[in-house]
This record gives sequence, structure tokens and C-alpha cells, in this order.
Amino acid sequence: MTNPVLENIRRSLGRTDRSPVGLRPAIYVPRQPKTVDAEISLFFAELEKLAGTGGRVAAAEIAAKLAALVETQEIRKATLWHTPLIEKLGIEKILRTLGVELIPENAPKAELALCDLGITEADYILPETGTLVLHASADMPRATSLLPRVHLALTTPDMLRPDLHQVFAEGKHNNYMVFISGPSRTADIELTTALGVHGPKDLHVWMVGYL
Amino acid sequence: MSGKPIYVDFAGYTENVPASIPAAVQLATSRLAGGRAARVAELPEWEDLRQIASDIRSHTVEHIDAYLTKFEQNFTAAGGQIHFAATDKDACQIVTDIAKEHGVKTAVKSKSMATEEIGLNDALAKAGIQAIETDLGEYIIQLAGTGPSHILAPAVHLKKEEIADIFSDKLGVDAPPDPQQLTRIARETLRAKFLQADMGISGGNFLIAETGTLVMVTNEGNGRMVSTMPDLQVVVVGFDKIIPDWESLTIFLKLLARSATGQKMSTYTQFITGPRRSDDEGGPKEFHIVILDNGRSKILQDPIGRDVLKCIRCSACANNCPVYQNVGGFAYGWFISGPIGAIYTPQILDTQAARELPFASTLCGACGDVCPVKIPIPNILRHLRRRVAEGDEFAGTSMPASIRAAAGVTSFALSQAWLYRLGSKILPTVTSIVQPYPLSRWTKIRPLPAFSAKFRGWWKSRKDGTK
Repeated sequence: MTNPVLENIRRSLGRTDRSPVGLRPAIYVPRQPKTVDAEISLFFAELEKLAGTGGRVAAAEIAAKLAALVETQEIRKATLWHTPLIEKLGIEKILRTLGVELIPENAPKAELALCDLGITEADYILPETGTLVLHASADMPRATSLLPRVHLALTTPDMLRPDLHQVFAEGKHNNYMVFISGPSRTADIELTTALGVHGPKDLHVWMVGYL
Repeated sequence: MSGKPIYVDFAGYTENVPASIPAAVQLATSRLAGGRAARVAELPEWEDLRQIASDIRSHTVEHIDAYLTKFEQNFTAAGGQIHFAATDKDACQIVTDIAKEHGVKTAVKSKSMATEEIGLNDALAKAGIQAIETDLGEYIIQLAGTGPSHILAPAVHLKKEEIADIFSDKLGVDAPPDPQQLTRIARETLRAKFLQADMGISGGNFLIAETGTLVMVTNEGNGRMVSTMPDLQVVVVGFDKIIPDWESLTIFLKLLARSATGQKMSTYTQFITGPRRSDDEGGPKEFHIVILDNGRSKILQDPIGRDVLKCIRCSACANNCPVYQNVGGFAYGWFISGPIGAIYTPQILDTQAARELPFASTLCGACGDVCPVKIPIPNILRHLRRRVAEGDEFAGTSMPASIRAAAGVTSFALSQAWLYRLGSKILPTVTSIVQPYPLSRWTKIRPLPAFSAKFRGWWKSRKDGTK
């Protein structure tokens, strides 16, 4: 089947569909990681610059931290991903004890939009830019990190990656991936920063298991 | 500002720029340019990154058919549906047909220059489909019924009081003149639209040939909403958005946000390969991409001008341009403004319809210095000035015969040593007495500087002195 757009391009460039493709120019050497401790500190420093919050949390502290979050953010409804880490930490049970109503992660979007809190787990962490990398699947819906007004992402030190190169090499075959660097923001009105324009207004990241 | 303009009247517009424009645009550009400069200073490898980015973009433009073919194969294999549109009309038709097939009434849109370029909102409106802009700035100007004044800050020319009035008037709500409150009102209003819309429409920042992946960069999260909430998603992108592979993307992602807003990374960057794999995951069930030509293949014919297709739409050239800072985005007459618009629009329309744009520059060179993919914008401006003056294969010359004649005489005089010597002797005397038309137009307003050609004398004396 002929494609007029491709034909026009080839005519302009003087190429045919059999013209060889030369090698793409070589790429810069990726950033070298520092120690795990320094990488974690760098990540949280960058996250803070982006108006995100969080820090290192011991597994034993999770219940108390969640109780504080539920109180300060007035969390009534929450929805969460089903990942081994989230299950292991018993997040669901803690939230129930705190009196938070749990909305199934695959509920209709109108219902998810009413959630105050969405809990996910980052697949990778990029310290240099304060970035969380999330995938999606049936147990890890895309809307959990998007619709609730507060987003809490859990992660562990083994999710740290030094640079985009490693994240892309590992993650490029997922059908969906999103980088999140801070809460949703805009400066469209008189260049004044406003948070939470469409996505979450608050972003919390807890690094579990490295103190 | 939608659809192709017939003529870009840069001079006409700039004679009557509203006073609010330069003030607002300078506020935006100085903040964005300052942010960029700060990020660049942090990265010692910046110039290396620019060089690699430039090389990859040149390579991609030269092999663009091969990479598009690869993208098509991989995107289709991932379950996406691809359409190629030769013209803006074709693209609008394709999107409208998809919408009609699905009985779409409302579409939510994420800011996209490609859909501005093809005038999609008007086409959809004619088909009875309402397209709602969801980027806050775009939403404001859509409610106001005007066009964007800056690529990244479309409503920067409006004061918060004016925006509050627009919200009160159009949304029937009590809107205080406070950016936080106005943002909250927009969030609530648009949240309802996202949940109800039948279709999401967006542009894209990159197409990765290696896996058939769409890359979409936003800060507000509206891009995520548009590509996550409705079951049907349509993306319109120019074919120049193609890049070879993910490894190349590492370079462009480092350059894009830093050059654009002075961020290290934009808030949300999405990598989408085809439709959702399960209903529970969320995201569109049907995923279409419309690949737009609309004159781009014509640009490829010009080995100098084609470098414009390397652009990754960061707007750093505009933010650093003294002309843009004083006239704003409207002056450039189409969806793309600033120095990049001045070299893009004349090549897409033709050099007649946009003949003023290559001259809408002081050739100070700032645009070329900040371009993250090293497009030699000043060189292309000069090249297009020549095409405007001499005519090209798409349009005849648009220079008046008198100016061409004067340029011919000057060129001849400067190439003949004896004539130059004679001229430099007699012109100081002649011009002090006679100032014929069109010189008299100039001297009505200001004095003609004394004609002085002292270089030859100076050079001679210097040579004699050093002997």
C-alpha cells in the first residue's frame, strides 16, 4: 500500500524505501551514581524543591505516619495499588483501623475522583530530578496517582536508578509509564505558581527500609 | 488563530500592539529565560548535550521516512491505529470522522500546537462536537475567545482581575481575583468535563520509532487526564516529532524542560505504547495517531531551511528574542511564533504569504545560541530573506523593482574597486546637498549621518606606518 505522505518525504529527500539508514550518532555517557545514602538525600532535596514532601520511613513507623497523614490531610476515602510492598506493610488494614473508607482501585472513575488519597509504589526513582517512575497494570491503575487530591508513593532503595538510561533500558517495553516530578502545577495566571490544578495537590514519597 | 492565514501582516500588527502585551510577555520571557540560564549553568555537559541532540535531529530528519515506517510498524503492533494526513483539511477530516463514528459530543483537549495548526476546534465545532481546552491558560483564552500570546503561557497577557471577570461571566460563579482560587475553580469545572468527555485529543512531544511509543510532557496533569479518562484518544502530531529510540530520548528529556521553563524535568512525562491492556488499568480503549505533513515534506526539499524540522518546541528562542519580547506571539500570525515561527511559517505557507517574517528579526543571534538542538536560526533567516527577495520555486519575488534595482547597483559598485573609490570620494559631498526619494522619507524624521568612507585612507596610513 502506498502512503502519499511517505512518498512526498522520500521525493523531497531523494530517497527510496530501500535507502539505507545510517547509524544514529552516539549518546553521551550517563551520570554515575553516588552512594545509596547520598542518592536518597539528593532525591528528597530535589523533591522538596518541587513542593513534594517525604523522607525515609522504617516499616515499623508506617502506622503512625499514616495516622498523621490521615489526620492532617483530612483523608476520608482512599484507593490503593496492590503490590507486594503495599501488602507487606499492611497499608489496607491500617487505613481501615483509622476509619478510612477504601474504594476499590478498579472502581468507576467518578468514584475514584472522590478519593482524598491514592497510594502507589514507584518502580524507579531518579534522584537528580526528584522523579518517580510508575508503570500501570490491572492491579496498578493509572488513575490512582492522578485523581485523588493527595498522592502517596512508597518506594525502596533498590528502586534508585542513576540516570534515564537505566530507567529506559528496563522500562521501555511497558505499555504505560509515567514520570512524576512533584505535585500538579501551573503558573498560567500572572505566572503565580498554583498547585493541584488537575492532578494531586500534595505529593508524599516514603522511602521504606533505609534509615 | 486557527487554520492557515492567507497573509501574515507582521508590520501591520506591530504598529498597533496593545500596551498590555509587551509588559506581560516580558514578564513571562524574562522569568523563563532566567530559569533556563540557571539550569544550563548547573550542567557542565550542556554544550555536549546540545551537540549530540543536534546530530541526532539532523540524522533523523535525513532518514525521516525510515523512522516513520518503523514507528508505524511498532505502533500498529501495539494495537494503535495510525493515520497519515497530507494536509490540514485531511487531518481535520480524519479526526472528525473518528469522532462521528463513536458518536462523540464532547472532547477534552490538552494543549497542542498541531491542532492549532490545522484549526481542529473549528472543524469539530462545524461537525457539532464541542472541544474543551484543558490547559489552564488555554482554557482561559478559550473562554475569553482570543488566541494564545505565548507558547508556554498562553494567557499571560491577562490580569487576574480580567480572568476573574471571564470566569464570573462565562461560568456563572463567584470568582475572586486570586490565582489560587481561580485555579481551584478551573480544577472543579474541568474535572467534571474530564469525567464526562467521550474523547481525548492531544498533541505529543516525541514519537519513539523503536517501540511505537508516544511521549507527552505536561505540568498541570491535564495531559494525563486527557489520555487516561476517555475511552477514545486521538493524538495529532507533525511527522517531525519522530526520534529513533529511547537512548536518544535521554538527551532530549534533559534538554527540553530546562530550555523551556527552567525545570529539570516537567511534572508529568507519559510514555504510552498503544491502548490499555485491560479495563482495570484505565486509559483509552482505542488509540489513534494522526501523523501530519501539511507542508513539512515541502520544507525537506531545502537543505538549509529543513533544519527548522529539528525543533523540539521548547520556546527558548522566543524567550530570548528582543523582537518577540516587544511584539508578543500574536504578531507572528499563526500557531508558531518567535524566531522559530519566523523561519517555519514562511516555509509552510510560502515565502509570499509570510514574506515579512524573515525580516522580523535583528539577527542578534540569541535564538541560535540558546536553541537546544542548535538550529542555525539566524542563518535560515538570512537564507529566507534571499528566497523572499529573489523568489523561489514556490513563490515569485516580492521585492519592489526599485529596491532590487538599488541592490543591484550597490552590488555592482562594491564589486568594482575603481567605482568604490570614486563613490567614497564624491558621496560625502553629494549626500550633504541632495537627499532624493526614498532617502528623503528617512531624513524627514531624522538627520542623515555624514557619509564617511575613511577605511581605505586609514588602512593605507597604517600600512605605511608599519613598514
